[in-house]
Amino acid sequence: MSGATVVIGADADALVAAHYLARAGRRALVVDEREAPDAPALEPGWIPPRVVRDLALERHGLVVHAPDPWAAAPLPDGGRLELARDLARSAASTARASRRAAHRRPQFCGRMARLARVLELLYAGPPPDPLARAPGELARMAGLAWRVRRLGRRAIEDLLRVLPMPAADLLDDWFESDELKGLLGLGGVMHLAQGPRSGGTAFALLHGHVGSPPGVFRPPRSNLVEVLARLPGIEVRRGARVARITVRARRAAGIVLATGEEIAADCVVSGIDPRRTLLELVDPAWLDPELVRAVRNVRARGVVARATLLLDREPGFSALTLAPSLDDLERAHDDAKYGRVPQRPALEAHAVDEAADAAGRRRVDVHVQYAPHALAEGAWDSARRAALGDQVVALLAAHLPGGAAAVVERSVRTPLDLEAARGWPQGQMHHAELALDQALWMRPVPALAQYRTPIRALYLGGPATHPGGGIAGAAGANAAREIIRDARRGRL
Amino acid sequence: MKPYDAIVIGGGHNGLVCAAYLARAGRRVLVLERRERVGGAAFSEQVFPGFTFTVYSYVVSLLRPEIIRDLELPRHGLHVLPLESTLTPLANGDHLAQWSDHDQNRRALARHSPRDAEAYDEFGRTLHQMARAVKPLLGMVPPDPASLAPGDLAGLARLARHFRGMGRGVFHALHKLLTMSAADYLDEWFESEALKGTKSASGIIGTLLGPRSPGTAYVLLHHYMGELDGVFRAWGFAKGGNGSVSAAIAAAARALGAEIRTGTPVARVLVESGRATGVALESGEEIRAGRVVSSADPRRTFLELVGEAHLPGELVEAVRRFRFRGASAKVNLALDALPDFTCLPGPGAHLRGAISISPSVEYLERAYDQAKYGEFSRRPYMDIVIPSMIDPSMAPPGKHVASIFAQYAPYRLNGGWTDARREALGDAVIDTLAEYAPNLKSIILHRQVVTPADIERDVGLSEGSIFQGELSLQQLFSVRPAPGWSKYRTPVEGLYMCGAGTHPGGGVMGAPGRLAALTMLGARR
Ligand SMILES: Cc1cc2nc3c(=O)[nH]c(=O)nc-3n(C[C@H](O)[C@H](O)[C@H](O)COP(=O)(O)OP(=O)(O)OC[C@H]3O[C@@H](n4cnc5c(N)ncnc54)[C@H](O)[C@@H]3O)c2cc1C
Repeated sequence: MSGATVVIGADADALVAAHYLARAGRRALVVDEREAPDAPALEPGWIPPRVVRDLALERHGLVVHAPDPWAAAPLPDGGRLELARDLARSAASTARASRRAAHRRPQFCGRMARLARVLELLYAGPPPDPLARAPGELARMAGLAWRVRRLGRRAIEDLLRVLPMPAADLLDDWFESDELKGLLGLGGVMHLAQGPRSGGTAFALLHGHVGSPPGVFRPPRSNLVEVLARLPGIEVRRGARVARITVRARRAAGIVLATGEEIAADCVVSGIDPRRTLLELVDPAWLDPELVRAVRNVRARGVVARATLLLDREPGFSALTLAPSLDDLERAHDDAKYGRVPQRPALEAHAVDEAADAAGRRRVDVHVQYAPHALAEGAWDSARRAALGDQVVALLAAHLPGGAAAVVERSVRTPLDLEAARGWPQGQMHHAELALDQALWMRPVPALAQYRTPIRALYLGGPATHPGGGIAGAAGANAAREIIRDARRGRL
Repeated sequence: MKPYDAIVIGGGHNGLVCAAYLARAGRRVLVLERRERVGGAAFSEQVFPGFTFTVYSYVVSLLRPEIIRDLELPRHGLHVLPLESTLTPLANGDHLAQWSDHDQNRRALARHSPRDAEAYDEFGRTLHQMARAVKPLLGMVPPDPASLAPGDLAGLARLARHFRGMGRGVFHALHKLLTMSAADYLDEWFESEALKGTKSASGIIGTLLGPRSPGTAYVLLHHYMGELDGVFRAWGFAKGGNGSVSAAIAAAARALGAEIRTGTPVARVLVESGRATGVALESGEEIRAGRVVSSADPRRTFLELVGEAHLPGELVEAVRRFRFRGASAKVNLALDALPDFTCLPGPGAHLRGAISISPSVEYLERAYDQAKYGEFSRRPYMDIVIPSMIDPSMAPPGKHVASIFAQYAPYRLNGGWTDARREALGDAVIDTLAEYAPNLKSIILHRQVVTPADIERDVGLSEGSIFQGELSLQQLFSVRPAPGWSKYRTPVEGLYMCGAGTHPGGGVMGAPGRLAALTMLGARR
């Protein structure tokens, strides 16, 4: 197989797609408008083992950071609820928060792990198409159905019941401890413009659980993007802004850069969001108005800000979550849904293992939710950004040795900054919110769910496609496999 | 005397429908109703002399046409009068009116947004299509997806064929409707706040969820279902209020030979070696029957009437988890004159339709925000009808009655419901409505305020949940009321369920009662 492929965007999924295509014998050129990779050292996301194996990522320096305890939350009595990766070990700490919680957690974790396993099965390939007529696809669905059935009555019932639930209801069914529910509840709304009492947030909680051991409800963090970018086999061109995708006779023929330079290719894969891809880079006249409407309606609301703190001492935690209860989370969301920065945003802080500089200072990455992309009054500016930074430091201070004084430097990125720096539409990391109506065969919209677009040889392979963000590289790998299949069948 | 073939616990409209179908098949049936009169939540009463209130439910749209036909309800007194408009008054003195007349409606919408007027027909068609796609499910007994029994496998295969046969467009649209929030769904169609607010209100009825929560779009469809058998939003008003729907079904049941005893609370279902053999009344009397079918909600039926001891632990757990969370209240008014709305002064056709206080999605969402944390909405969503405008016999000549459905009033109010809080809720409703109809306070002769706690106490609906359990996706179809028990049967042999807590759920629909009866008749050995 030969032929040149242009991949737009140098994020995890796009890079994985490029590598798979290169391994299949295609020339893969990745173009990205950013001058330098912007990703922090570690990005969250579970990498399917098959991707790790196929691309020999471990040999090329992949570092997966799975902190242990994977989460901790302060308790009102001054102690901490610490959740170890090993269920048995964290039982004692859970018991500090609630004896009943400690008792019920293993059963809860077992049942959730089984559901996450079902998602994992569904995520390993392109989304099933329930209306497919092709024998191959029917056989695949029958296989999936069979494997789900084999998990037993309980799992099937849980599947029907749990996925559409609010995370808050699910957690209330099992636990009483506010701290435990707040910590797990944040997993249900990560990057979502929803509060924990909204339907479908239990699905988001499970999505973030896929690939992790039972009881661990946050994906690991890794240097995947950095490894993929330097992995040989593909060419990465930075500072190259795509102005247009060239379409000839309903077929993608390459790209035109903002500089006017034309790059011919017999296949174009877009890792950036579908709206930009199809409505800005392609002349929408090529598209059916129905599709244009559907793509415009893809929900991608950014609700997260990120802060990076430099501490002059050890932070005293590897991971720390400040989401004291489901009500606190919900109230934070109440503020954000009316366009206000919450009084008490939920925070999740991760300490970076190695010292950040020669002075031995330590870096802490903080996920801040909810920070609305559009403010009801005014707009994000440096004053508001600084105010958010003050809030983050003030909230964390009580949990840092030495308090706020330990923070010697800080930087904050609002959803607007993240949009500019990372190309996330409205600051939405997953490019399309991970909700049940934008999952599986609906992701990002039904007509684009199989990675193909109405324009021949133009594919989508970013986090807006199945299985979506948070499962690092899976969408890219799935897209690449579809492209290779098309090429084999002469349909490229 | 020949023993009863079946005892129906509860004479709500579903219990009555079930009894009527059983009697029609020649079974000897006894209905036992706790209250002095039948009807349950479909109940009319002369609360103040000369003024008849449709105390709880107030409009008819979901009542299955096959039931109306089979039981010949019109012959037994059912008479549904159409409600032809929905008026949404706005704070700025303007209003949005929706009419059943197509051209009139288009003109009214175009005044707010030509684009919305344009989209409206397409929206109507889409929902109509969705309703058509869902309708067969309302008439089928949900199969158990975890079972390998031939009946279930056949049911699943039928379901798969149904979904696969509906075509891509419809299938995907249905997926969206089932999983989206009413607000997001409507955002894809319309721009006018008043229109989106009013439409999304159908999505929040009976649930403690805000219009922005996924899952509410389905409830919107549930309330659209009635449209199928008539014209636009074929909400109708039953002459005499919804109590006359129950009365007509009761008359039909009696005519078919069913016996109905009111003022007869059942204390317990008699269970002998895993089999229901009859009931014990609160009076101590025991009545035997071959079958027992309960129209009370799942919590009452399983945890009170049957008792945990007779049930598998998993079902008990599932029933405890079943979400009720009543969030709706009623305020019924006896009026000296008609309310006068600032936006459309004087009497007019708009007073013969529904009046909706739902100026925007945000208004509803804010009402929900308070309820989430255990307060009732200070400025609630309201759906108002003036029954006396449609059926003058509901009030003395020249006087009127108004039925106000209000949300949110959470069952779990901080500090609990007391007389004072009930009146405070009544005041909040009246104050809010008076902003749009300033003469309101001066024309009120009497008022009746019904909180979720009152609904629970009077009708027996747990937590005042108007649908015998929320109509959220995780409580529908094969998992309503509990996984594995969606087929009107229970682990106690000979005991069945037929209330709104079973598929296809709440509303004055009758479908659960009918499907339960058909199941029982089919299951006869
Ligand atoms: C305030 C309110 C407004 C509503 N508005 C509408 C509307 O406008 N349109 C609409 O379609 N739907 C509406 N609904 C919903 C609808 O009324 C209900 O879902 C429906 O009436 C439920 O009928 P059911 O027969 O299943 O149960 P129920 O009506 O609850 O009947 C159950 C019966 O069982 C009896 N019972 C319980 N326990 C015992 C016992 N131990 N022994 C003997 N009898 C017992 C009860 O007294 C009751 O009569 C509304 C409901 C409420 C509460």
